[in-house]
Amino acid sequence: MIEILLFASLKEKTGHSKISWDEAPLTVNELKEKLKRTVPGLEEIDHLMIAVNEVYALEGQVINEGDVVALIPPVSGG
Amino acid sequence: MTDRYSRQMLFKPIGASGQEKIRRKHALVIGAGALGSGACEILVRSGVGKVTIVDRDYVEWSNLQRQQLYTEEDARRRMPKAVAACEHLKQINAEVELIPIIADFFGIDIQNIIQDVNVIIDATDNFETRMYINDISQKFKVPWVYGGCVGSTGISYTIIPGKTPCFECLMGKVPFAGDTCDTVGVIAPIVQWVCSQQSVEALKILVEDDRSLRSTLVFTDLWDNEWSSIKVNQLKREDCPSCGSNPTYPYLNVNRNTESTVLCGRDTVQIRPGGGLDVDFVQLTSWFQQSDYQVDANNFLINVHLRDKRAVVFRDGRALIHGTKDEREAKMIYQQMILPALNSQT
Repeated sequence: MIEILLFASLKEKTGHSKISWDEAPLTVNELKEKLKRTVPGLEEIDHLMIAVNEVYALEGQVINEGDVVALIPPVSGG
Repeated sequence: MTDRYSRQMLFKPIGASGQEKIRRKHALVIGAGALGSGACEILVRSGVGKVTIVDRDYVEWSNLQRQQLYTEEDARRRMPKAVAACEHLKQINAEVELIPIIADFFGIDIQNIIQDVNVIIDATDNFETRMYINDISQKFKVPWVYGGCVGSTGISYTIIPGKTPCFECLMGKVPFAGDTCDTVGVIAPIVQWVCSQQSVEALKILVEDDRSLRSTLVFTDLWDNEWSSIKVNQLKREDCPSCGSNPTYPYLNVNRNTESTVLCGRDTVQIRPGGGLDVDFVQLTSWFQQSDYQVDANNFLINVHLRDKRAVVFRDGRALIHGTKDEREAKMIYQQMILPALNSQT
């Protein structure tokens, strides 16, 4: 199982602060495509920063069983 | 030296030699809103030799909740933030050389200003300016510290040219979206958190303690009690157009003629004419009055009511058109009601 953490406005948009994902392993890109299709509120996932186990994720990177994925919206205000 | 800095000098990583380094350094702060006023106060109290503050806006009542340098009097007088900030900072530490610049960052002569700058603090509210700061940082080899805050979430990352991945490496594929205080608001504590992250990194840079720099991207949500520190080293790219081996600095080469920009959270559009002007306020005021527009001014800006809209015109010919987010409408107002007034000047 993969644990997916949602931060900031994503919680309001999706209604979740955490999603458990049963499918692993898969690549970052595959996960993005699947989340985009199945989780309302994550249509704009390409606008997000994605970290796996607190390391910024590269697109082809493989996510394994037990990994923690964080979805972080870029923050622009100042 | 007086004992003004005694506590800072007792702090081992700074010490007397660090304090002397801080005194000889120049910090450039882009934006004097929430993050900018917080960062400026820390830098000026710390005794940074010279601080240049660039801001395109003026103080409004909705700023006072979180923009720590400003007062009700600033809001009443519609003081440009760069000037108001410097006035207050001068009261805090008269030893610091303060340079206020009332302008859009895209409109200033950066080649001239950047020469002796040791660190750039990003206190802007949009990614377009940050990409531009990033290219300037890479081209002139000056470190910069990214900071952003919205709602109760904050983020910060330090970019050291030649060492860390740059902002383009980090955000290159992320479109210019992102939450703004437009839609979700912002609370003061997150401003302070981001200011702390940025200004401590700036101090490390100024005392040349590179080994203590954080190197991770930090992200927090103070309301929801979340904190994470994300490693990003692997993102540095050889073919990055900004920091790679053959940089083209794409954001320095954008043609910037007359530009319109929607301002964050303000129901306001800025119109900036290409090529800086030097507007004669006396002439402009009387032109507006002759056109039966209600007008008032201070030394830095003219506030004019144009039928159902309000506009503020600065000396460089820039105007903030209030009461609209529609860039086309704002451009039309500028062309029909402000440009003729500017053109009437000899």
